[in-house]
Amino acid sequence: MSFIEKLQNIDRRWLYLLAWIFVLYPLINPLGLPVPIQKESTAWNKAVNDIPDGSVVIFSCMFSIASIPELYPMTIATFSHLLTKNCKIIVATFWADGALVFDQTLLKQFDPAKYGKVYGKDWIDLGYVPGAETAMRAFADDMVNTFPKDYINSQPTGSYEIMKNIKTAKDVDIIVSFESGTPGVGEWLRQWNTPYGTKLIVGCSGVSAPGMAPYLQSGQLSANLPGLTSTAEYELLIKRPALAVAGVDAVSMSHLLVVLLVILGNVGYFATRGRKS
Amino acid sequence: MVDLLVLLGTYAGVFFTLGTFTILYKENPWYQISESTFLGLAVGYGVAQQMLFVRQQWEGQWSKSSIMMFGYLLALLVSIMWYFRFSKKYFYIYRWPLAIIVGTGIGTSLRTVMITQFLDQIRAQALLNLWVPTSIYPTTINNICMFIMTPAVLLYFWFTGADSRPGFMKYVDVLARYVMMAGFGSAFGYTVLTRYSLFIGRAQFLLGIPPNLPEAYPVFIVLSLIMLGTMIGYDLMKKNKPATK
Repeated sequence: MSFIEKLQNIDRRWLYLLAWIFVLYPLINPLGLPVPIQKESTAWNKAVNDIPDGSVVIFSCMFSIASIPELYPMTIATFSHLLTKNCKIIVATFWADGALVFDQTLLKQFDPAKYGKVYGKDWIDLGYVPGAETAMRAFADDMVNTFPKDYINSQPTGSYEIMKNIKTAKDVDIIVSFESGTPGVGEWLRQWNTPYGTKLIVGCSGVSAPGMAPYLQSGQLSANLPGLTSTAEYELLIKRPALAVAGVDAVSMSHLLVVLLVILGNVGYFATRGRKS
Repeated sequence: MVDLLVLLGTYAGVFFTLGTFTILYKENPWYQISESTFLGLAVGYGVAQQMLFVRQQWEGQWSKSSIMMFGYLLALLVSIMWYFRFSKKYFYIYRWPLAIIVGTGIGTSLRTVMITQFLDQIRAQALLNLWVPTSIYPTTINNICMFIMTPAVLLYFWFTGADSRPGFMKYVDVLARYVMMAGFGSAFGYTVLTRYSLFIGRAQFLLGIPPNLPEAYPVFIVLSLIMLGTMIGYDLMKKNKPATK
């Protein structure tokens, strides 16, 4: 068997080992590769910056624990950015793990009180409601009865000061959603954006990015932050380099590996194609 | 000083992360333990959250009047009908809640689906600005590409099934195939990006890169050596063991 033929039949475990090396090395020894700022992260930063004072923001973690590695950095960065703004934040999710993600991971990083935000007055965590799109519709029509109690204190939602003047989707200015599947952007658009005109910005995993493009192009989606690389750019824009910036070298190296393997695979294929026929 | 519970949680996280990654070598007990634990926890947590919602709905609004109580009981009855899926004899009862859920879901989304995912998209396509002097690249080029490519792909499917394609349509078909290949390639590329991003996130956890706890790193080294050692050692032992008749 020639070298080229061996290349075609390489044990996949060697490739996994290579993947580990290409990812772990730049994490242990950062390479400091440049991070050019692209239009997606710039638009996202502008969308958050442009939220007017006194606005009501729905902040939604629409992803499961499994998507934390990719979506957590952008969720942290955006939440920290929002905390510097003079707006009211309503945290709600329609993914079972979403409430846990926010409570167990995000709140451990940030105490909104340090930013002068008072629970129940400036922000509230409503937790999770099952029912996906139907629940999102119900939330738009009647926020308090859809989430009768808040997630953190289990007190009646209507008893909090923040909810006194926030009843339906008409009272909400913008939705900031982070998501990795369904329910997600389609449901927000169908139940909030189209009937109520609520502005929507979505941070998503890379795999969802092509699906966001038509909505972004049509203007239904005001901004989209796709994947870890865009998050790294956003972290640099808000001058808060964190997990995404730390991981961007590994992203570049892992892509380099994929490109090399694709080239090798094609070389092997074209070199052996003639022989087989 | 790190809280003991947080520390234990981190160690468990390292164990289960590495256990899950061991599938890259081959199917093994470390992976099976991790997989079963994750699935059990995910399902258990989901059920608990849904039960919590049912209770909160009762306390929050449905217990306020007798009519609402009746509605709540009716909803509970319908939900119990789901379990007839497991009965061969009464399987037909299960179709009722299924029909209600499917009907409600479709009815809710149909309210705006035509506007959101059809008319708004057509309008955006029709309003494409084909000449943007301030941004010839990328905006003008992108818009011209979209103006040509979107109808090409639609026409490719529109005429699928026809026995013969008119001359011009053959060129449209070729263009549409290239456009779709580019689209699928982009989707695949993003999929690889996501998989690596997920891996990188877990690698950051294993290496204890802040805000992850640095205590994870030594445990990662020790546990990875143990797991790899047991798997490779087991394989070597099996290889050296003389075959029994």
